[in-house]
Amino acid sequence: MSVEIIKRLVVFVLLCAVQVLLLNHIHLFGYATPLVYVYFSISFQRGTPRWAALLWSFFLGLVIDIFSNTPGLAAGAMTLIGFVQPMLLEFFLPRDAADNMPVSPITMGYGKYLSFVVILTLAYCLLFFAVETFSVFDWLHWLICATSSALLTVLVVVAVQGMPNSEKSS
Amino acid sequence: MRNLLDFLVKYHYWFLFILLEVVCVTLLFRYNGYQGSVWVSSANVVSGKVYEAESAVSSFFSLSKVNEQLSVRNFYLERQLEQARRLYAEATQDTTALERQQQTLLSQYKLIPAKVISNTVHKADNLLTIDKGKVDGVAVDMGVACGYGVVGVVYLVSDHYSVVIPVLNVTASRISCMIRNRGYFGYLHWDGGDPTVAHVENIPRHARFKRGEWVETSGYSSIFPPGVLVGQIQKVFNSADGLSYRLQVKLTTDFSTLRDVCVISDESVAERTRLMRAAQDSIKKNKDQAN
Repeated sequence: MSVEIIKRLVVFVLLCAVQVLLLNHIHLFGYATPLVYVYFSISFQRGTPRWAALLWSFFLGLVIDIFSNTPGLAAGAMTLIGFVQPMLLEFFLPRDAADNMPVSPITMGYGKYLSFVVILTLAYCLLFFAVETFSVFDWLHWLICATSSALLTVLVVVAVQGMPNSEKSS
Repeated sequence: MRNLLDFLVKYHYWFLFILLEVVCVTLLFRYNGYQGSVWVSSANVVSGKVYEAESAVSSFFSLSKVNEQLSVRNFYLERQLEQARRLYAEATQDTTALERQQQTLLSQYKLIPAKVISNTVHKADNLLTIDKGKVDGVAVDMGVACGYGVVGVVYLVSDHYSVVIPVLNVTASRISCMIRNRGYFGYLHWDGGDPTVAHVENIPRHARFKRGEWVETSGYSSIFPPGVLVGQIQKVFNSADGLSYRLQVKLTTDFSTLRDVCVISDESVAERTRLMRAAQDSIKKNKDQAN
């Protein structure tokens, strides 16, 4: 149990550092920023207590906010993802899923895993950019920012997800 | 009663969810108008340290370019000074007066050199963080400039770090400026988008000026001394109501590579700001009473 928590904490710090020091500086074509920390909330395994998922998500969002001067923005959006993730996961389970099934392409199958990641990431990006551009709202700009960022995020998540698996299989 | 308890236990995460979202929304809406929230900004100690380390690494890689720019700028300024000195000496036959005058002007302002440790230019409301704070003498509402021109105004101050509202902030940045040698003044406003272009609003209709002339701070805002460079006039438009001109200005400060800045601390500013606030308050009060 405590090993799980420490593992989670390490991933937490790593995602924060990567996002703040590296990914926040990327604005591909002036629009797309990979928001990879959302992977943290996507990857809660089945059966994670609901309150734990919510609190983890909230605090990750808050730390990102603190570093990028946007209090409440990422925290709010992340909390929503932490709330929705367990519900949505039920729709993407394979027939004989274990109660503590981890979220990964191996346990879920690549198709299901990918659509699960895409839906949550897109939802997150849409919400994030909607609130961010709240004061000067521009439909087209919002859609381009959100979808391109979601696409980039999914790409990075899938690439990162691929790495530990290839290590395991080799 | 038991059913109620069961209900609460079964759906406890709903309440947690709502609670957390309320906290977020509160943060979201209170931050902009709330000066005390240093701990949820990049001015707090932990994030400050992280950004400081990051900028130490990245500034190392841009050192040679910065050096180059500095030497070019230095050369330019030296020549300008030389020219001014020569002209002044020709005009008055007195070589020491100008130096004395310059020194008294500068002694009124204390310059605190600082480094930009985090910065954005792509958002609508950009903020930047510098590595000097209360301990170093930085206070809220001080002006910030760099070797190339105006940067912004200090907004939040913690012990060792400060958050600055740069010109590139749609909602919060209004800096009073005027056209050099012409005296017509307006305020500088950025509309988002291109970080090298901003607009000067409220230039009167009868003003005479040319494209390519320089815009500098007016000194009316009491935040900047007069004469800090802002930019060069590119295009002239009519304002939306047709009552004034709207100038498109090419900013001299390159915000995307900004690293070394100076905080301008003026001892007499505090007094002037207080007076201004008192005046505004009394006007407001009179209005309220009239209503």
